[in-house]
Amino acid sequence: MSSTQFRQDMPPPGGFNAIKYKRNLPFRGPSGLVILGGVTAVCTYGFYRVGRGNIEKRELEREKVWSRINLVPLLLAEGDRDAYRRQQAALEREKAIMKDVPGWEAGKSVYNNPRYRSGEWIVVL
Amino acid sequence: MSSVYHDPAEASQPYKEPTPLPSDVPKVSELGTTSAPLKSAAFFIGDYCKEFNEDFMLCKAENRDPAHCLKEGRRVTRCAIDLITKMRENCGQVFEDHWQCLEKNNHEFYMCRKPERALNNCMFEKLGLTKTIPGTPAGKTPIHEVKNPVFTGVQR
Repeated sequence: MSSTQFRQDMPPPGGFNAIKYKRNLPFRGPSGLVILGGVTAVCTYGFYRVGRGNIEKRELEREKVWSRINLVPLLLAEGDRDAYRRQQAALEREKAIMKDVPGWEAGKSVYNNPRYRSGEWIVVL
Repeated sequence: MSSVYHDPAEASQPYKEPTPLPSDVPKVSELGTTSAPLKSAAFFIGDYCKEFNEDFMLCKAENRDPAHCLKEGRRVTRCAIDLITKMRENCGQVFEDHWQCLEKNNHEFYMCRKPERALNNCMFEKLGLTKTIPGTPAGKTPIHEVKNPVFTGVQR
């Protein structure tokens, strides 16, 4: 047997590279707990605002209603004057039309009740 | 008389009753103010004309007949005319700013807090009238004086 040239397979000089056995997990954002906490915080603030808004809406409604209540006497007085004027005109007209009918009482209600009731008819154009 | 029913709302011309008020009723000029100035002045009318308004409403509670409360009604109208004239004289520009703002913002008070505060200040200084909303919960700031409200216009 001649001396056979052979090389023993050996690690490279300096040794092998370190085996990459560690998991490669880059940072992928905040944790679930943080997100959950953040969402809860945002929702809590939102519901707080909704509650405040509901209280405020009620007050705004009261303000609007009272602004109208304050105007009721004024508008009613104006409307009453106009209604009275129309009533009197209608009464005069009825008197003129029915002047030949004996025993006709112009403007007499068909009900035997002194309580005021507004007109039962409307003007047809 | 026509026998077919015509909707008055669709009539080509409005129905008018030309007959004036009977001469035995004293004349009073109507206020003639449109909705925005009325809404702007509403709380001051309620404050300034409180007695006349309450008198009129008590009278209306007695009897709903329009003829029953004509005298009280004239007082109410005269008082309102008086107040609007005073507002025009003393706080003309501020009043105008506020009701123009209301007119442009769908008649919402919360959209016009800035001109409203100016008007309220002016009315308190010149005429001693305050805006009070009855029924505000005790201890709470009235809604028109809240510094940082939830509901504001998008453009303040």
